[in-house]
Amino acid sequence: MKKSQHILTIIISLFVANCFSQETIDASAINLFGGGQEFNTAVMELQRIAIIDVEPDPGTPTTTTGTTLEAGKPILSSGSPSTDEFWLNYTYRSISFQNAKIFAKSNQPIPVGMNVIIQIISTANVGGVYNPPPNTNPITLTTSNQVLINDFSSGYTGDGENTGYLIRYTIENPSFQSLPAGFEIIFEIL
Amino acid sequence: MKKLIILITCLSLTQITYSQLLPGTLDVSGMPSFIQSVDDVVMEAGLDDTTVGFESNFDATIIGFVLDPLLLVNSELMCEANVFRYSVYIHTINAPAGLIFEAKTTFNSGLRFPTVSTYDSLPVQPLGPRDLTPSNGGSYIPVPNNGSQAIKIFEFVGCRTEIPIQFKVKPSVLVPGGLSNFDIYYTVVGSLN
Repeated sequence: MKKSQHILTIIISLFVANCFSQETIDASAINLFGGGQEFNTAVMELQRIAIIDVEPDPGTPTTTTGTTLEAGKPILSSGSPSTDEFWLNYTYRSISFQNAKIFAKSNQPIPVGMNVIIQIISTANVGGVYNPPPNTNPITLTTSNQVLINDFSSGYTGDGENTGYLIRYTIENPSFQSLPAGFEIIFEIL
Repeated sequence: MKKLIILITCLSLTQITYSQLLPGTLDVSGMPSFIQSVDDVVMEAGLDDTTVGFESNFDATIIGFVLDPLLLVNSELMCEANVFRYSVYIHTINAPAGLIFEAKTTFNSGLRFPTVSTYDSLPVQPLGPRDLTPSNGGSYIPVPNNGSQAIKIFEFVGCRTEIPIQFKVKPSVLVPGGLSNFDIYYTVVGSLN
């Protein structure tokens, strides 16, 4: 490229940069003669937010015809460090700085002699803003709420796997019973 | 005779135009309100609410700037005879930390004042046509919560009224829920060129 073309390119680049640069002033120190300054007051009302999900998504992958893909594999088979672990993500905005808790429970009774245990085994933060005060003790699920994450303020964990709370579940089932049909673990922010 | 006097007055004021700015009045109306609905809220757990955001009406605030009357010459004649360039800067005060607040208007929004002016038919218009030009191509511009960094949202040539300004808010979840308020400042700076 010739020298003149280089110079032309630089001039055009500077011109373009100048066009898209943002002009600012010190509005409290400027001479307002020939201009003016006024203000109005804006009112803002924001919703409380309390949403939570698990990653990878536990929904059974299906084809458009409804048939299950990769039969024989557990639902939590893709991407998670192992098949008995998953990540918990949440987004929470408080009202009046009121802290929240995340509870866990089962949606129906677990057969006698069988235990479903969940435990937070680590936390991570990829693109989130949150303070993780987890309860790292194992929790044996019942149909009553038990505290999984205690007393946290507004924040968000980051979305997807490898961020938020890594939870391991263990099933103790010495008598080889089945979980009831439709069994679910429910996580809830309250 | 009366027309001649007005013409002479206008011409004399035009001479002033090219020497110094004249005082004017900034009119700001509207009470912007940002009420977040359930549909405006982030739906994916783990993400911040700034990923969504929601807008005000296109005319949440309406501003105008006209020159003040001088002796027997009303604002309309003052604006016809004196054409300056005006830049409009916006900043907020007391907006909550974590709030991304943006403003915009559209090309040539608002109304020229007066609607028709002898300036418009000049073969050479010193400041260009009496148009409104938004910054950033008319896209939203983040507004700082700091008066020392008020940012230019648009500029216009000649007096202008009924300029609508639209806002968008992107509130982090770190901004507490419920009701709050903050002030939006509009600063108009005149220039001769």
